[in-house]
Amino acid sequence: MALKLMIVDDSNIIRSKITRTLTQHDMQVVATASNGEDAVKLFGAHKPDVVTMDLTMPRMDGLECIRALRKIDPSISILVVSALADKATAIQALKEGAQGFLCKPFSETDLTEAMEELLGEDAHG
Amino acid sequence: MEGAYAMLKLGLGKYRSIVVLITLFLVFDVGVLGMTFVISRQLTADAISINLAGQHRYLVQKLAKTALLIDQDATQGTFDSSGRSSLNEVKDLIATADRFNAIINTFDGGAKLPDMTEELALTPSQDEQAAAMFALVKDLWAPINSEVQSLNQPKDGHRPDVGPLLQVLIPSNLNLLASSHLLTSRLEALSAAKAARLRGGQMAGMAAALINFAFILYSFLGQLRKSDQAVERAQRETEDILRTTQEGLFLLDPDFRMGSQTSHALSRIIGVEAKGGENFLDLLKPLVTPKTYDTTKEYIELLLRHDVKEKLVASLNPLDCIEISAVRPSGAVESRFLQIRFNRVLQGNKVTHLLVTVNDITRRVKLERELKDSERRVQDQMGMMVNILQADPRQLQDFLRAASDGLNQINEDLRTASPTTGVSTPRVDAMMRIAHRLKGDAAALQLEAVSQSLHAFENVLQELRVLTRRSSEDLLPVAVRVKGLYAEIAAIQDVIARIGQVRGVVSVEPPKPPHDPEVAALAFVRQWRSFAQQLAQRHEKAVELSYQGIDVEQLSPQLRDAVNTAVNQFIRNAVVHGVEKPADRKMRGKSEAGRLSVYVSDQGDGTIELSFRDDGRGINPEKIRAAAIRSGRLSPEAAKAFDARQLTLMIFEPGLSTREHVDEDAGRGVGLDAVKDLITRLGGRIRIGTTSGEYCHFRVQLPVKVEPRDDHIDAPIKEVA
Repeated sequence: MALKLMIVDDSNIIRSKITRTLTQHDMQVVATASNGEDAVKLFGAHKPDVVTMDLTMPRMDGLECIRALRKIDPSISILVVSALADKATAIQALKEGAQGFLCKPFSETDLTEAMEELLGEDAHG
Repeated sequence: MEGAYAMLKLGLGKYRSIVVLITLFLVFDVGVLGMTFVISRQLTADAISINLAGQHRYLVQKLAKTALLIDQDATQGTFDSSGRSSLNEVKDLIATADRFNAIINTFDGGAKLPDMTEELALTPSQDEQAAAMFALVKDLWAPINSEVQSLNQPKDGHRPDVGPLLQVLIPSNLNLLASSHLLTSRLEALSAAKAARLRGGQMAGMAAALINFAFILYSFLGQLRKSDQAVERAQRETEDILRTTQEGLFLLDPDFRMGSQTSHALSRIIGVEAKGGENFLDLLKPLVTPKTYDTTKEYIELLLRHDVKEKLVASLNPLDCIEISAVRPSGAVESRFLQIRFNRVLQGNKVTHLLVTVNDITRRVKLERELKDSERRVQDQMGMMVNILQADPRQLQDFLRAASDGLNQINEDLRTASPTTGVSTPRVDAMMRIAHRLKGDAAALQLEAVSQSLHAFENVLQELRVLTRRSSEDLLPVAVRVKGLYAEIAAIQDVIARIGQVRGVVSVEPPKPPHDPEVAALAFVRQWRSFAQQLAQRHEKAVELSYQGIDVEQLSPQLRDAVNTAVNQFIRNAVVHGVEKPADRKMRGKSEAGRLSVYVSDQGDGTIELSFRDDGRGINPEKIRAAAIRSGRLSPEAAKAFDARQLTLMIFEPGLSTREHVDEDAGRGVGLDAVKDLITRLGGRIRIGTTSGEYCHFRVQLPVKVEPRDDHIDAPIKEVA
């Protein structure tokens, strides 16, 4: 069964790149959001298995959004996809409950490998 | 339950044999104790038996004595008429007989004497001989007992009649006494044998326990030694690894404390003393910015959490490349780039430690930066285009061809270098000559960027030259530079091609071939003058260059190239070393500007002659002597033996410079040797005339028809029209 994915990113280009790449790898994009608020609303309705999360977004940033999503489902898998401008913020996001980080810009292989790593059985990769 | 069993099994493991031995030891001890208990009970029973048998002897005697006393009283008339005293003696008789009976009953098993605290199996029943003796005692006793019991109901006033008793007692009294005595002796012998058995058993048990104990001790010490050896070996191996590894290595615990063992390289790499057990963050604090410090702390905390994917957070490591100031063993402070990486150490599913690896990546970072710089320079085409447009097209083409040839040759040398020994010193010298010549030409064409790149390339080659062993790793910076230079040359060619396209579009007429030799040489002369002025300015000197002679443009490309290279090198040599500063010249009565005279003539015998003269300070043999000693080319003794002519000729030797520091223009001792090299290859010769303080004059003769002597001169040789 295809895994359900939600993409949270304010860039249309990034959203379609993630969609294009991961739908080829047996994932089904059930929702996309361009800000944290929408993401929280859509999350309850679609119950995705995995979320890719940008950090800098209008109307509720990534950090807050991760906190909100973890409150709804503490076991959700979150991959932070963000530019490496501020390592401290990215680390903060992981401390809030995301499990992995992918640096923008990324190639399709980077994204697929990161997703495989994120969903791998072994928590220590 | 199963887990506990497994743990027990696991726990026993290597201690199994010791546990077995200790169990045996305890079994032996319990055995000895048990045996002692049983036998000592029997000994107690034996003692009682002996005592009772002894009593029998005494009772028999007492009975006989009492009976005789009663009888004596009766016959001597001492009998009390009341019969009271005799009555007491009869009572005594009966009591003695009762005691005898009680002992018999006790020996028979059943009864227990009132003075015995516990019931014991007494000996006579356990031994045949004793039993037979006891039976005899009983047989002898039975009739006596019967007679005693018949005295049991005396009547007052009647004398007790002990006659029948004495009749039975007297004949068997001695037999009974002897039998009782024999029984006692037999019981004593049995008891002694048992006591001996007990001692023997105890001794054997104790000996077995002691032997066992010795085994335990031996086995335990053996295992202890074995495990100690294993621990020592493991420690030694770890120590060897930590001492030899070139990386900084240590374990970090969740409290940020470094493990007790760290690799020896660690302190050297980070430039401060790092001790095991120290707090890593305290060590890091003075090395990084407060922000990096905070981020590192958070990053480590993140890695210690098991739910984050290690691979997916590696790019967030704030210490992946940090710049620090480190103190070298010599005391000098240098800037260093470090890479500190963290890997999880797991026990089961729990992250117990992080393995920290510290590497000095300065060399890599610098190479990367240089590569980026060279890329940046390549991209800086606008500035270059301006210079290319200003340069003489033919000279530019000559330069590009020479550069391409030279780089190909260097590249070939690098490609065929031995992986272990690298390239030989003469090959490095040859590379330096190529680089130096190209640098001069590039500077002359005012290709500043290329000239600077070649200067940096010379630096790299110089560093390579001083190495005693040159590994392929040492050649890496050279290869990086060559790659950069190829890119720069290619970029120039690209620009030229683009300019060509633009020219094609706007149809610029090509310049007509000039006729007047003075005018024809102008392109060259203009470049020589410009180069001389530029150099003079840099060295705060003044020069004037004059030219006379044939049209250099009309020479074959090889000759033109050779003449151009030689003149450029002579100009450099004259301006840097020969021509004095204006004030100095004035004092010596010379014009303030140094005069450089260039003359190229066709000798009419198939050769041309290039003459270059400057009116500077000439060549000072003493300065060359000093330089030769300083560079190690000559020992002070050998240098002393050289005359002025020999010393003057040394200016054509590679690696000799009278300058004490290196800059873009001179000081490496490469230059005139490159000219000599070039002229020799073309089959020419070079002469030098000089008077110290007055002038220096180079005269170069070159054949017009040149047979190629080196395989990288492959263009056809043209005759001069």
